[in-house]
Amino acid sequence: MAAPLVLVVLAAVTVRAALYRSSLAVFIAERVEVASPLNAWKRVVEGLALLDLGVSPYSGAIFHETPLIIYLFHFLIEYAELVFMITDVLTAVALYLAIQDFNKVVFKKQKLLIELDKYAPDVAELIQTPMEMHYIPLKVALFYLLNPYTVMSCVAKSTCAINNSVIAFFILATIKGSAFLSAVFLALATYQSLYPLTLFAPALLYLLQRQFIPIKLKSKSFWLYTMQYASLYLCSLVVIICLSFFLLNSWDFIPSVYGFILSVPDLTPNIGLFWYFFAEMFEHFSLFFVCVFQINVFFYTIPLAIKLKEHPMFFMFVQLAIISIFKSYPTVGDVALYMAFLPVWSHLYRFLRNIFILSCVLIFCSFLFPVLWHLWIYAGSANSNFYYAITLTFNVGQILLISDYFYAFLRREYYLTHGLHLTRQDGTEAMLVLK
Amino acid sequence: FQDQAEQFLRSGHTNNWAVLVCTSRFWFNYRHVANTLSVYRSVKRLGIPDSHIVLMLADDMACNPRNPKPATVFSHKNMELNVYGDDVEVDYRSYEVTVENFLRVLTGRIPPSTPRSKRLLSDDRSNILIYMTGHGGNGFLKFQDSEEITNVELADAFEQMWQKRRYNELLFIIDTCQGASMYERFYSPNIMALASSQVGEDSLSHQPDLGIGVHLMDRYTFYVLEFLEEIHPASQTNMNDLFQVCPKSLCVSTPGHRTDLFQRDPQNVLITDFFGSVRKVEITTETVSLDRDVAGFESKFPEEELATEPLKYAEQLPVAQIIHQKPKQKDWHPPGGFILGLWALIIMVFFKTYGIKHMKHVF
Repeated sequence: MAAPLVLVVLAAVTVRAALYRSSLAVFIAERVEVASPLNAWKRVVEGLALLDLGVSPYSGAIFHETPLIIYLFHFLIEYAELVFMITDVLTAVALYLAIQDFNKVVFKKQKLLIELDKYAPDVAELIQTPMEMHYIPLKVALFYLLNPYTVMSCVAKSTCAINNSVIAFFILATIKGSAFLSAVFLALATYQSLYPLTLFAPALLYLLQRQFIPIKLKSKSFWLYTMQYASLYLCSLVVIICLSFFLLNSWDFIPSVYGFILSVPDLTPNIGLFWYFFAEMFEHFSLFFVCVFQINVFFYTIPLAIKLKEHPMFFMFVQLAIISIFKSYPTVGDVALYMAFLPVWSHLYRFLRNIFILSCVLIFCSFLFPVLWHLWIYAGSANSNFYYAITLTFNVGQILLISDYFYAFLRREYYLTHGLHLTRQDGTEAMLVLK
Repeated sequence: FQDQAEQFLRSGHTNNWAVLVCTSRFWFNYRHVANTLSVYRSVKRLGIPDSHIVLMLADDMACNPRNPKPATVFSHKNMELNVYGDDVEVDYRSYEVTVENFLRVLTGRIPPSTPRSKRLLSDDRSNILIYMTGHGGNGFLKFQDSEEITNVELADAFEQMWQKRRYNELLFIIDTCQGASMYERFYSPNIMALASSQVGEDSLSHQPDLGIGVHLMDRYTFYVLEFLEEIHPASQTNMNDLFQVCPKSLCVSTPGHRTDLFQRDPQNVLITDFFGSVRKVEITTETVSLDRDVAGFESKFPEEELATEPLKYAEQLPVAQIIHQKPKQKDWHPPGGFILGLWALIIMVFFKTYGIKHMKHVF
């Protein structure tokens, strides 16, 4: 499978290189959907320039990246384009390897469950075969590399690409079963943008499943493993934060990075939901609503963990999607990451109910973003409500997509255990309805 | 002839400037605009041209919608004297009359884009008349109903003017309530000050005109205007006469003056030294031939010994230096401890994951 992957990688690199050389690069780099105050490239350049002038880059409200990014780009700033292309390639390769291993795990589990007779007799058509699962890793790499969102994010040199690659390595490490590496990468991802903290739960569930530790609250081995993993994660996070203190000898980066993410002071429009609300809110309510909006991101972890404890990878996918919808400064790069996972659940296609409408909504909204931005900012004939409406529609589309996949997944699981042709007690055909 | 010659040597000024400021807006402060315009009229009549007058009016009374006689500003009941006229040039109008603009005019610290008509281009041989009117209190003068200038600021502005040699002598007249407080703090030389009332007293307005509906003038300026109407460019009236204008019986308030900072005796200071622009002219009947002197000029400065070649355009720019410049060294480097710590961590993670046994292959 290496050769097609190499081909895909070459095609992706060619597309990116072509776009870097064209005039579209400047246009894309300034678009607010692609570059947010957290990960815009010009802010990184500005921060490094401030550092060259002897001023701390966190002294203004310009630079909100972590010190490790400063260190990385201090030496690599002339090769920035290469760095971002290599990052995208690394992400795709990591996802490829991760999904390859995941498929093996899925297949093994499926075989185990068939042999244990856990499946109903007439669900042969729902069982995944190695034939159809063969091309999934390649499709995942393809979906990630050639997704227009990823390409735009790379051409704009947004550091979202680095965040995506750290998360991809985290997923690879989790699937390979190495708790230590997965804790380290999760700590790196949390360190860069706060929200991957919620990915702790699916990773923990996956590792527990891999070690065959049953997830019961009273089981001692469960708590032991959880404590081990949590302490690995927290220690690596603390070590990384302390290490970044030594870069500039100051704790300035903590309010600039984490305080900025949590308190959302910058209300530049983006594809998220925060900016419009906070732009028109009264001062004395803003603290309350900031707390509400931030809790919204972290809130779904526990219920999803309870429901999806047998299927931690799907939980990881849904959690990634929730992060990229509800985070304070989302960009299309975050959307691209969870969309890369869609081929893994392509067997759910027959249960998806609204996929046509949702894909149309998402595509239309993506085209309408620049149109309404132009109408609002340049032509002056629209106002922020228009752009906010498209933001809302886009996010509603994403939420419906995720909930559609969630419903389809649960429905398939139900059919697998209860059989495809459901009958009621009196023998007539029954319909499965989500209550 | 001897007296005139002596006078030529007495006051050291060669040009005259006037800064006339009305600081109040709104229709019921008509009298402040009329005050300022009366002084403007007198000063112009006595010879100071518009180019040497900075007139600041905070509101437009002549074209105010409440003015029953548009395009006029009267200073006397029965509309006897229209001080607005046809040739009024207002330099700072309406909202441009602010404390900042006033102080900038006085000190000369003005943005380069300001037109000449808005500048006080005085030099160290200028006599400046500064007239201010409006609503004031003990130590301050109100501008535009929103800000105020204090006597300390004014004194400091005059000191800046003195240190920058922007005046030879300065006459400061103020017609507001408690006006004497405004000149209490002056400390620069060559300033003479007059005020319409003492601290604790109010300056009162003169007569209302029932046709226009407002008071037309303040008492002090009304009597000063009456006094100035008698002056013509050749008058020998001196400052002591000006000090007698508007006694308490007519003005109700007690006008005050301050001459301790002024070097000359007020007896010797002519009204026209400040209110007019009297040119000192020396008449001579001899003819002076200029041809000899012109020839003499040429031989004064010998030609330069050094033969300088004209520079070519390309040589003016050190192109060779610029294109071979090395890129600037980055000034900031991450501290050594950080790099060491980071790579130590990375190596530790690597070996923890892939096993210690690889270490012996490295070392």
